[in-house]
Amino acid sequence: MALASSGPSQQRAGDNPLLAAFLEKRENLVLFLAARLRSMATAEDLAQDLYLKVAAVQPGAEVRAPVALLYRMATNLLVDHLRSGQRGARRDAQWRLDTRATIGGLDVVSEPAADEALIAQERVRQLAEAVAALPPQMGRAFRLHKLEGMSQAQTAQAMGVSQKMIEQHVAAAIRRLAERLRA
Amino acid sequence: MTEGLNPDDAPAADRAMAEAGAWLSRLGAGEPSAEYGLVFDAWLAASPDNRAAYGRALALLQDFDARAGDVLARLDARAAAPAPRRTLSGRPAPRRRRVGAGWWAAGFGAALAAGLAVVVMPPAIIHPASAQAYATAKGQHQRVTLADGSLIDLDAETQLRVRFQGSERRVALVEGQAIFDVVHDASRPFVVEAGGRLVRDVGTQFDVRARGGQLTVTVARGRVEVTPQAPGSAAAQGQDVLLGPGQRFELDAPTAAPQLSAVDPQETFSWRSGRLVYRARPLGEVVADLNRQFVEQITIADPELAKLPITGVIVLDNPRAVMSRLSLLLPIRTVPSDKGLMLLRK
Repeated sequence: MALASSGPSQQRAGDNPLLAAFLEKRENLVLFLAARLRSMATAEDLAQDLYLKVAAVQPGAEVRAPVALLYRMATNLLVDHLRSGQRGARRDAQWRLDTRATIGGLDVVSEPAADEALIAQERVRQLAEAVAALPPQMGRAFRLHKLEGMSQAQTAQAMGVSQKMIEQHVAAAIRRLAERLRA
Repeated sequence: MTEGLNPDDAPAADRAMAEAGAWLSRLGAGEPSAEYGLVFDAWLAASPDNRAAYGRALALLQDFDARAGDVLARLDARAAAPAPRRTLSGRPAPRRRRVGAGWWAAGFGAALAAGLAVVVMPPAIIHPASAQAYATAKGQHQRVTLADGSLIDLDAETQLRVRFQGSERRVALVEGQAIFDVVHDASRPFVVEAGGRLVRDVGTQFDVRARGGQLTVTVARGRVEVTPQAPGSAAAQGQDVLLGPGQRFELDAPTAAPQLSAVDPQETFSWRSGRLVYRARPLGEVVADLNRQFVEQITIADPELAKLPITGVIVLDNPRAVMSRLSLLLPIRTVPSDKGLMLLRK
């Protein structure tokens, strides 16, 4: 039985160089997005949005530099996402939602068990020790920008140095932290 | 060309991690730009080391993100370190916390460093077979060391009586909240009377709160048994309950059906360190707790306002600071009143 090629989902990559490039670069694009989003799940979601856009491109459309275009499209989706999400997003990771279950007929709100809490505490201790071991300026830049959630510009202002310097401090901090916390 | 492909080649791995750090720092800040897209893509493709280093550093940053509040609290506690851990008073110069999205994430250290306004009484020693009463006022915490080495931390506005008899160690929590750190002694059970129940420890640490007819028992370590105080009475509804670490027993009224939940004991025990943790609790309840911790009293003008739910951590430095941080989360504002502060809708 011959399948008629109708609609984007049936499109084969061969007809659409952008789609072919997307399928090849998908993982890289997710990593690119995740640097800013700091969440693989959200990066995957945006990559899915990107896929829908890419798949909607007319077959045979001329695309000169498909990979560059993909990164541009990904960046646009990222900008839109950050604009719409910024208000609500504020580190809601801390605001854990309760899930309900029952034990012996009694209502139970489940949260991390005590042993998980201990493991989490130990991890927190390791992370804090690693930050404390950074050289002072580097540690301060990492703390303000990555832990307290200040923007790079705010951090630069708070520390009285250039934004470029903050970028370098944070880069060096990430390297040292990753080396120290190599598990 | 083989450089960078050998996994034992430490300098290559170092270089990959240095570059991964640079990429994450650059891509993770400022207005997103497609400018670096192609270069980044080429870098990832250049070596499996690069991809591995980037993945590892990204996972680490996500870990930091998920635990940012706790890590900050730990860093603050560490900075304030040399002083003994459990002393609430005598802390030097209050440290200002940033106010904003993450204020509630501040933890133990911050609370300690914030100069919590409590009075810590010297430990009292109880003699066996004698009854002794303890009471704390607004804004007062007290630690009691019992003759057997067990510790009781009393929250503000708490009354309890301790009686050690030959075969039993018994504490009556008349009203309030306390954390019990019990030295196990199989021959002398430790029993707390509260809210019409008996809370019997089996060598453990647990928190009991009996306020306004409501009772909660939360276990951090060991096991605790909760039984009706007078079998056959109305309060006896429900069976005996054995609680383990991380479990909470809750009664809304002496005759209500008990609820069991699994909780993070650190949250329940955090009041001892000057921190209150709430999950979707009404503002009215939070204010009632704050009014025990501060002499300056907060009143709510509008009963509807008292129903607003709050989730977060409140660091007990002073009522004005607490309310100004809360007003960032809720549509409330404060005005001075004759007792202290009044909350109004924004």
